[in-house]
Amino acid sequence: MNYGRELLKGNTDSLLLCLISREPTYGYQIVKELEKRSNGYFQFKEGTLYPALHRLEREGLIQARWQILPNGQQRRYYYITEKGQQVLASRLATWQDFSTAVKAVMQAETI
Amino acid sequence: MISNTSHYLNRFKASLKIDHSIRDDVADELHTHLEEKTQDLVEKGLSREEAYKVAVQSLGSPELIAQQVYDTHAQGTWKEAFFSALPHFLVALLFTSYYWQNVLALSVILMLTVSIAIYGWHQGKPVWLFPWLGYYLMPVVVTGILLLNLPQGWGWIAALVYIPLALYALVHIMRQTARRDWLYASLMLAPMPVIFSWFLSLGAGNEFLTSNIWMARLQTKAPWIVVSFIALAGATVAFIRLKPRRYKIVSLLIPPLVILLGVSWASRGSIDPWGWVILCFSLLAFAVPVWMQARAQT
Repeated sequence: MNYGRELLKGNTDSLLLCLISREPTYGYQIVKELEKRSNGYFQFKEGTLYPALHRLEREGLIQARWQILPNGQQRRYYYITEKGQQVLASRLATWQDFSTAVKAVMQAETI
Repeated sequence: MISNTSHYLNRFKASLKIDHSIRDDVADELHTHLEEKTQDLVEKGLSREEAYKVAVQSLGSPELIAQQVYDTHAQGTWKEAFFSALPHFLVALLFTSYYWQNVLALSVILMLTVSIAIYGWHQGKPVWLFPWLGYYLMPVVVTGILLLNLPQGWGWIAALVYIPLALYALVHIMRQTARRDWLYASLMLAPMPVIFSWFLSLGAGNEFLTSNIWMARLQTKAPWIVVSFIALAGATVAFIRLKPRRYKIVSLLIPPLVILLGVSWASRGSIDPWGWVILCFSLLAFAVPVWMQARAQT
């Protein structure tokens, strides 16, 4: 299995929570944002995003609401919940510690 | 392109056996996603047909998305498991405390079951509804059987009017339930073979209406009846909480089959030929949906 894909799989929830915490958003916009912010690094089948969003919703980390646009189109917007914010804060802290430790080890290795 | 989108979404819906409101929500999201992505690609210079093809490819296989959505929702919460098992616990409670002899307690439980079943039916048929629905249907079936035991002549007249109506109602509810998921039809009918096997083991034919022997037998068998319904409640909790469908099937099949075989074997002398017909019918009604599910998977 591709190492990068495994890393993405392990961090999908944190990435989604992070994007949703910035502003309420919907599926297709999340895909575009992930692509834009990662400069096209994250490649995945876009359909797999929806099961992940529903899992987060089921865990109470996000909430969803349908909104009707002026042109009649419907979008399902996702909002982060208080529980989601707490989980995100904790994961960000863990990620910071982890990446600092990995950098320290890897840099020492490459010198 | 509209028909292509419908085809894609239909493949998705056909592969996903969960609450219809959740399934339709995801289908609508996929539909919006396809439309927006296609539009973006058209604005970048692709033809509508090419844009749609790329959008579908980026989204991925509808069957794979359905499988992942199913995995997300397949495991019911403990709350759902509790509410699904509650009617079995209530029946066990009736026999634990001999409340089955109390008309008021029986009426309260019957009214509660009917109200909850009707409420759940109109609230998008959540998973906890189906065991309640099974008990809701039980008086309909039992009344039909009792009508056959009315004094000569009257039984058949009542049966000719009542049974077609009751069958129509049963088939309608079964079809609606199976459309959602074949396994839910079996979950709904799980109490039927258990109740019939106990019911028929108590006595045959007119004994029910003309003597009190069956009441005495019921009293002696009450502890085992309690155990049966607690086992059914346990199986229901397992069904809701387990994720893989094959484990759900096993958890659902074993307790009613064991109870039915055990009771039938222990009271084989007291079940008349009509009783065996009813038992076989209830077993078939319970097991056929599981078989249909297995067929649908292959």
